[in-house]
Amino acid sequence: MEEHYQHLYQALSQVDGYIYPNEIDLHWGLMIVLYPYITGLVAGAFILASLERVFNIKVLKPTYELALLTALSFLLVATMPLVSHLQSPLRSYEIFMTPNPTSAMAIFGFVYLWYLMVVLLLEIWFDYRRDFVIWSKTSTGFKKFFYKIITLGINDFDEKSAKLDDKLGYFITVLGIPSAFILHGYVGFIFGSVKANPWWSTVLMPVIFLFSAMVSGIALVMVIYMVVSWVRKVKIDMECLDTIAKYLFYILIIDFTLESLDQIHRIYEAEESFDIIEVLVSGKLSITLLIMQVFLGTIIPLGVIGFFQVYKPAEKIRKTAYFFVGIIVLIGIFFMRWNVVIGGQLFSKSLSGFTSFNAVYSGLEGYGMVAVWLILPLLILTFLLWLMPPWKKADIHK
Amino acid sequence: MPKLIFRLFFSFVLFVSVFILIQQQLKPESFGKYGHYRANSIDDNMMRTSYYKGEEKCSTCHEEVADLKSNDLHSGVSCESCHSPKIDASIECEVMPPKVEGNLEFCGQCHAMNLGRLKKGAPQLDFKEHKEGQNCIECHNPHAPWELKEN
Amino acid sequence: MGTERKLENRRKFFQTSAALIGGTLMYSLIKPFEAIAQTKEEDISEDKAELPLWGMGVDLESCIGCGKCAEACKIENNVPKEPFYFRTWVEQYTVKNDGEVKIESPNGGIGGLKQSVPDEEIFKSFMVPKLCNHCTKAPCVQACPVGATFISPDGVVLVDETYCIGCSYCIQACPYGARYMNPITKVVDKCTFCYHRITKGLQPACVEVCPTDARIFGNLRDKKSDLVNFLQDNPTQVLKPHLNTHSRVFYNGLSSEVK
Repeated sequence: MEEHYQHLYQALSQVDGYIYPNEIDLHWGLMIVLYPYITGLVAGAFILASLERVFNIKVLKPTYELALLTALSFLLVATMPLVSHLQSPLRSYEIFMTPNPTSAMAIFGFVYLWYLMVVLLLEIWFDYRRDFVIWSKTSTGFKKFFYKIITLGINDFDEKSAKLDDKLGYFITVLGIPSAFILHGYVGFIFGSVKANPWWSTVLMPVIFLFSAMVSGIALVMVIYMVVSWVRKVKIDMECLDTIAKYLFYILIIDFTLESLDQIHRIYEAEESFDIIEVLVSGKLSITLLIMQVFLGTIIPLGVIGFFQVYKPAEKIRKTAYFFVGIIVLIGIFFMRWNVVIGGQLFSKSLSGFTSFNAVYSGLEGYGMVAVWLILPLLILTFLLWLMPPWKKADIHK
Repeated sequence: MPKLIFRLFFSFVLFVSVFILIQQQLKPESFGKYGHYRANSIDDNMMRTSYYKGEEKCSTCHEEVADLKSNDLHSGVSCESCHSPKIDASIECEVMPPKVEGNLEFCGQCHAMNLGRLKKGAPQLDFKEHKEGQNCIECHNPHAPWELKEN
Repeated sequence: MGTERKLENRRKFFQTSAALIGGTLMYSLIKPFEAIAQTKEEDISEDKAELPLWGMGVDLESCIGCGKCAEACKIENNVPKEPFYFRTWVEQYTVKNDGEVKIESPNGGIGGLKQSVPDEEIFKSFMVPKLCNHCTKAPCVQACPVGATFISPDGVVLVDETYCIGCSYCIQACPYGARYMNPITKVVDKCTFCYHRITKGLQPACVEVCPTDARIFGNLRDKKSDLVNFLQDNPTQVLKPHLNTHSRVFYNGLSSEVK
């Protein structure tokens, strides 16, 4: 407790201007920056997978299962930062028992469960079902045990059953696209609907969140595809990689347009909150917004991939560039979440002053936990790729 | 194959039904009576302990002081304004609330010169000019401030 | 003929599940937009005419910024003494001759607000007590995911301490900065109009100790109450009216510099 107060006294001494006395402490910290980031990665990876499944962009086939498994790994971890942030986490079941119909946050439990069970798990199951049956007959040990259980007692692997799997998988993916939109869009709405906070309150917020989510998800799958291929010492399908980069480029343009529109609109109208927001962006957020999010996370990737659309250099150069671009896009989108969540709490609702954000490295809300929640899904993904290797599937999807 | 589909479908329906059943069990009683909240919480909020008793309560024992105060300029100031109940001592004032220091800092809470306070009903004093270094109560009776003690 | 039956089954399956799933999705999409249903408090009480509707008036022409209200509130309601948690506080506004507005509230005004700008630079100066506005259309009540904060039938926005999960969404949603996270109870806390006192016929602690009668508490439905008289005699304003919160704390003498 004493340490907590010490940290608050320090923040009090760093107050710039006037803040309401209760605003000294930022209530939503790194964990709340992380949650939209993770669900964004899930939604984005899923949308990339659905591009192949629903819109029949066959060239993306090598990354289809990879994208789904990535989405699953991150989705399994998604709740953790949220629950660990609650002051009374043992009561979190209440969100299922008495969800408030007027609260955007109350949708969380239901949309998460729906998306996890009905969309993601079922889609992966239908896609792998035939392979599970085949693998259950040919493997040993833990894997055999797992495959036998997961087939749920159905052992058909003929053409007809494969066709049905395909149809149902298609149907679920179609259902999954709006579900993915809701899974991440509602987070944008949580922020966008807070009329008390002028930095958050904009109609564009759910849409901006969604498109930046797609950007981050696509970049993630791109990077993971390259890393997995490198680990497996397998040649990368350049056509696939070029197409992923192309989609990343297009969605990044839309995302950048939306965010610029929001800012231009703000600057032009210059209503009551603009004076403080101007100081916020040019001051406390100058590094995280102007440099990390805009320059590093948007302008450079747009420039690089855009250039490749006009002139395609050698494969080796493209691969290095894509990897580099994927990483900086991921960093840039993390900072986009940072700028929204932390930025919105740095200035007072009195529009007259600033508090400060002093992040810690240890403890439940520190950078350490951020690293844990980001590395854990990668470990889960490694396990899933070992358990259900996409490259060992019998190719029956003609 | 369709057998499996129906199995999946029915297990979904089963899950939803079990969920709704558990939800009804775990929902606290009195929830939803007046709105989307636990109605018994209204009673919980009513049951808190009160520490401030109100001037009338003070007057029942401290009649003389109350009379004195009611005839002078501090009549509009309630007893507990200066004598705040100390909760770790007791909530009944049989145990004396600690003596209030009648010094410049304390009385200055209302009476120190501040341009934001002019013409609002509390006489303003610049304490540098007015008896700096002394305690207010050396000259003023706090319950009857215009009754000045002889110097 | 076997395939026909299979096709028939399949079709039926797709139809029923699509209907159910579509229905559930639609329902879950529409449900959150029941913000309009937020005015439920109008139909809940049985004896609507009998129940009071509590409100407060603040007379800025009387407030001297002594801070006794903030101090009394902390004592009465077990608010942590550190200067980061306030159910109510007093702000000092100093408008300088060059137009700059300095706002301050050191320790919420407890201990008395002290002049911090030399006389010759001051254009005007005044004090503004702040507290929870007990909005009839409270954004905090709308935002709470579990229903731990609510408007009582008599118009007081309260917190259910046994139910709050501590997500802080209500703190983000409050435009007035009235809510805080209690570090000891780990739930959200805020001004309750001293609900435990007003339901017993007493005044809130802040009103009790104010030496200049700058705070006027009362029942908006009682035509003879001090509060109603205050509202009738003075042109009053609420804070941030553009946010349409239907606040029930009315300020007399609210100057345009007040945030």
